[in-house]
Amino acid sequence: MSSTTAPSGLARARKGLAPGGSGGGARNRKSKLSAQTSRTFFWLLLPSVILLVLIHGYPLFQAGVQATHDGNLIQTGDFVGIENFQQVLASPAFWKAAQFTLLFTIVGVFGSWAVGLGLALLLRTKIPAGGTFKVLLLLPWVVPIVVSSTAWNWLVATPDSLIPSIFRNLGLGTPLFLADPTLAAVTVMIFKVWVSFPFMMMMTSAALASVDSTVYEAANMDGASRFQQFTQITLPLIARSTYISWILMTIFCVNDFPTIYLLTGGGPVDATTSLVVLAYRTVFQDFATGPGVAIAFLMTITLVIVSVILYRQIRKSSVE
Amino acid sequence: MNVQSAANRSFSRRGFLGLTAAAASVPLLAACGGGSASQGGGGAGGTLKFWDMPWATPAYNDAAKKIAEGFSGANSKATYQIIQWNNFYQTFSSAIASKTGPAVSTGGGFQAFQFEQQGQIAYADKVIEKLKSNGQFDDFLPGVLEPFKTDKGYVAVPWQLDMRPLWYRKSLFEKAGVEVPKDWASLLEAGKKLKTIGAFGFATGSGAGNNIGNHSMILMMINNGGGVFTKDGQLDVMNDRNVEAIEYMLELVSNGIIDPAAVSYTTDNLNAQWKDGKAAFGPYVLGVPERVGDTSGDIVVASPIAGPHGDKTALVFPNNIMMYTNTPSQDASEEFLVYYLGQLKNLWQQKLMNALPVFKSITELPEFTSDANNVKVVNEYVPIAKTFASQGTALSADLAALDGGQALNQFTQTVLTGKTDAKSALQAFETGLKSVLKK
Repeated sequence: MSSTTAPSGLARARKGLAPGGSGGGARNRKSKLSAQTSRTFFWLLLPSVILLVLIHGYPLFQAGVQATHDGNLIQTGDFVGIENFQQVLASPAFWKAAQFTLLFTIVGVFGSWAVGLGLALLLRTKIPAGGTFKVLLLLPWVVPIVVSSTAWNWLVATPDSLIPSIFRNLGLGTPLFLADPTLAAVTVMIFKVWVSFPFMMMMTSAALASVDSTVYEAANMDGASRFQQFTQITLPLIARSTYISWILMTIFCVNDFPTIYLLTGGGPVDATTSLVVLAYRTVFQDFATGPGVAIAFLMTITLVIVSVILYRQIRKSSVE
Repeated sequence: MNVQSAANRSFSRRGFLGLTAAAASVPLLAACGGGSASQGGGGAGGTLKFWDMPWATPAYNDAAKKIAEGFSGANSKATYQIIQWNNFYQTFSSAIASKTGPAVSTGGGFQAFQFEQQGQIAYADKVIEKLKSNGQFDDFLPGVLEPFKTDKGYVAVPWQLDMRPLWYRKSLFEKAGVEVPKDWASLLEAGKKLKTIGAFGFATGSGAGNNIGNHSMILMMINNGGGVFTKDGQLDVMNDRNVEAIEYMLELVSNGIIDPAAVSYTTDNLNAQWKDGKAAFGPYVLGVPERVGDTSGDIVVASPIAGPHGDKTALVFPNNIMMYTNTPSQDASEEFLVYYLGQLKNLWQQKLMNALPVFKSITELPEFTSDANNVKVVNEYVPIAKTFASQGTALSADLAALDGGQALNQFTQTVLTGKTDAKSALQAFETGLKSVLKK
């Protein structure tokens, strides 16, 4: 007669243990297998990790060296510690560029998201030639930025360009969209929204497609209005995708060089100089490598902080 | 045990990982394999790398390539590579740092001085000696070689002059019933009359990638006997002549003689202004009619104008060819440079250049003199031309930070918006320059 009772046997069975055995052998075998698997994974991953470290780590290390030295693109120069960072942080040009970058990013992220969301919702309705519209709406994202910036330049640059001419004919004066500092900043931001909304539209369209339509049927039966459905169902259900698109667009905006540089070059009088444009000009026009790389470092740190905050929001929305 | 399982057993996980690691290391080893040819500096010969910029249309580069590849001196040959202007300094710097740079190159106007500061330039004194012995030295236009002479030797050798002549559109002056300006006062008066017919009396621009606005500012300063540097190369921004010149530019802005949108004009926008008959007068590069697509003879070079004190100066950028210390053979580099300078006339004979030659013999070629604008620039501008060094003659690395730097660009844009006074603008310009030139 076995000493093992039925309940204890079931419990052992649930744990996957053999009758009468302690279970230690199986656990050892499992942990041994697990250790071997871990080693295999380690060796398989090692070449990729080495490559990643070389690709990302080495330039980062070099940038760190340049940011703390008084050199140029060829020679390292003397070690100056955090002097370059102090110089950058004491410069009014840096804070002006930081201010513009913040504004540019806020408008770029939320402007393109709002337009993208609106169009994504519109494209869910049954409109004629919806597929064609979808393709056409992707064009700003697809067309090379050199082409679109040139086109925008011709639309707004001179008093006789199309848009200023329309304003003039409407009796609204002749706005100098790229020559007036405030208007130039506004124009660059609108250009950024125009270039970026297709990306947001695609992200949002994909998220909306995953929302179960029965949820809306239930909401209708409960008497929820369209606005309530949008704010209480649609937005929460696509929140994860929204946060991801915000993170990506934040990175795109902060690091965006061509949109600004090709349209205004950062001018007039630095009105549209973002941090990345300032870093470029500092390194390659003023030939001040250390301060320029220091600006890039400060940008990277800021981006990491913002990304971590938004990533936490994603996790929070996933848990909810 | 079958053959398959034996094979499986012998091709163990460890072996697989070893192979994987070996395969992954191939590109790493390749990357660590060192640079190409140009090591040394002796006289052994080899293949020289010649890097050139897109100075004109692609036909220019084709012709230059043919010349470079025709070299066969000092047991060496030469290869030809075009380097785009976008990020050119980065391209050169990266290549030089990794020892994969050229042995000889053209490039930015002050690039040779920047790399000389970093010990990467081979001095051209022996080339100058060879040019003296073959007669080419005496063929240089007056004053073009001096800017490249330093205490240590010739940093580079000039090969073309990038002048900023004043251009005007004849029909607009006729329509406005006004004479072509001869001095600042007549320019102001002509500008006011040209404005009444919708034309601008001083066309310029400082938008993305357009440095004509920057050059306009320096031109007007040196045209008034001022400039950014003293004779001995010291910074001298706040001098009275500069203040007077900028006050004059602000007067042109406030009177609408300079287009209020000029601050954002790219070179394409500026070309369009000239082509569309909006630009009546202003400094630009050589070959404006061809550049803007109007070769009717309506756009022509004006004579240099005099400042209020009678000064009359033009602005020039002497472009040059430099040799690098990283070369398979210094003798071959020198031979190549002498050879290339001797072949330059082909480029002007084929009418491929938008710049002035540095040799008198080329300025006398029928292909060059057939363009009256060229002749006028050589006769009236070259003798009075000054560089960015202003009152000084020697070029330096500092001028690179001045030419493309943020300080000058911001200063120009501030003046062109008109929302400043001359002294404040110059003060900010000086502060910006000092922060860049302090090292």
